[in-house]
Amino acid sequence: MGLQSCVNINKEWDIVGARQMGRDIAREIGFGTVDQARIATAISELARNIYLYAETGQICFEVIDNINQKGISMIAIDSGPGIRDISQVMEDGFSTSGGLGAGLPGVKRLMDDFDIKSEEGKGTEIRALKWVR
Amino acid sequence: MDTVNLDAANYKDLLKRYIDTQDEQSLYGAEQISKLFIKNNVPPEEIINLHIQALSELYPNLSEKTGHSMNFLLETMISYGMAHQEYQTLREKQLELKTEIAVAAGMQETLLATTKPSIDGLDIGVISVPAHQMNGDYHHFIKGRDGSLGVAIADVIGKGVPAALCMSMIKYSMDSLPEESMSPKAILENLNRVVFRNVDPSMFITMFYAQFIPSEQKLRYSSAGHEPGFYYRKKEDTFEEIEAKGLVLGVSSDANYERYEQRVEKGDMVILLTDGVTECRDGDRFIESEEVLEVIKGYAHLPAQDIVDHVYKHFERLQNFQLRDDFTLIILRREV
Amino acid sequence: MNLAIEVTEENIKSIVSLSGEIDAYTAPQLKEALLPLTKADGQIVEVDLENVNYMDSTGLGIFISALKSSKENNSHLKLINLQDRVYRLFKITGLIEIIDIKAAIRGGSE
Repeated sequence: MGLQSCVNINKEWDIVGARQMGRDIAREIGFGTVDQARIATAISELARNIYLYAETGQICFEVIDNINQKGISMIAIDSGPGIRDISQVMEDGFSTSGGLGAGLPGVKRLMDDFDIKSEEGKGTEIRALKWVR
Repeated sequence: MDTVNLDAANYKDLLKRYIDTQDEQSLYGAEQISKLFIKNNVPPEEIINLHIQALSELYPNLSEKTGHSMNFLLETMISYGMAHQEYQTLREKQLELKTEIAVAAGMQETLLATTKPSIDGLDIGVISVPAHQMNGDYHHFIKGRDGSLGVAIADVIGKGVPAALCMSMIKYSMDSLPEESMSPKAILENLNRVVFRNVDPSMFITMFYAQFIPSEQKLRYSSAGHEPGFYYRKKEDTFEEIEAKGLVLGVSSDANYERYEQRVEKGDMVILLTDGVTECRDGDRFIESEEVLEVIKGYAHLPAQDIVDHVYKHFERLQNFQLRDDFTLIILRREV
Repeated sequence: MNLAIEVTEENIKSIVSLSGEIDAYTAPQLKEALLPLTKADGQIVEVDLENVNYMDSTGLGIFISALKSSKENNSHLKLINLQDRVYRLFKITGLIEIIDIKAAIRGGSE
């Protein structure tokens, strides 16, 4: 387990900051250009969700270094309104930007592992992980 | 991994060849590769990455700026790739739904199946074709112990799955009624209460119920707002609309239905239909009911089943083989 | 084909003027515009169908739910200026007996 680095999300500009930090970490541990771009896009989606629905929150990164593989883990945490029906949010074509491939199902497809916990009125925590191929 | 490597090498060779010669054959090769990419679900950002790799291997001294521009292009493709993947999943889901509906349609056919009974002295023809997979029209025949024939023809508002579900409900309510010993009026009043209690307020069903009593050569009937059928008088060679008043099923809890009676002479025909027949469109024009009758008249010398089959084929062709609504047509003709 | 819906308010009367076709595609729009109007106690909801030359059974369904809603909420639903083809639908289905309907003056059958 590596050290956690976090970015606070308060304004739209912070999305760029989070992307930058995530991409730097990804490049450092050996992700190729395509995966770097995918990781940055996933970060954008998570950060934008925080900015749009919870207003403030945090995105933290962690380098996972096992004996046989390396990866990047990111955690998006907010104390916003939460998600009432997670299954619905995870359905393709449901998000309002539907048909653009974005939204949480898109993030899930970009990453190797994806987990979401949410409580109405309390907040949301999303964990996503990608291994270096 | 082998095939991917092969593709990468192949891509590089083709690219090189094209840059050197600009010939059509390399472009044809590019088309082949493009199809292979789609077949293997290769997202656009991977294709651009392949291009970047090939370029840097072919021209190691390419300017740094060109390299940056290619990476920029790659970034712009990421969301496109995500959208493509979403499209793939949705397409699979659509196929799944189609299969499910096909199974449901098969079940509906079994559930709602009715057999055309043979009644002495009565020639019966029937055809019912859904516009989509599931049928919102319904008809059934029932033979009474006294040799009489009960015929129900019904149309539920709308099409597709909701209409079909509603029809299955009607079918089961009818099964629980002692139809043979009930008048058309009583049957409709009973069904009206069932529909009123059990369906959405914007849903309703129209039904025409008729009984043919061979011993008296009479037709008894009642209608719940159903598209009027026609009566053909052989002697005068004329058609007239079967007039029957009555509110559609499911609108008012205490609807009453009137009883009507008609004597059936030798060679006369009773024509029952749904609005899928009278609402056929020829381009932008609606056909008039006279047109339906003209077509029926043209085949009147044939057995009843052949008449309905021919009429259906006529209007199917008129509408370029794409039915807009479910189509049901029943003809009863007194033979002797 | 589309359906244009125009609502004008006059004291306790809402006039809904429709033009176009009412079918499975346009019916949801009509439902959304019409149903809320019938929910006000004492309201008269007058639907002008002069420029509607086609309606299918889905449209009838909308008017039936509007009628049910007006009865529940003590408002009054009225349909005016129905063209022959549309009027025929209400006649066949027996709905002219329970809905306040006036056919178009020209060519109206009643």
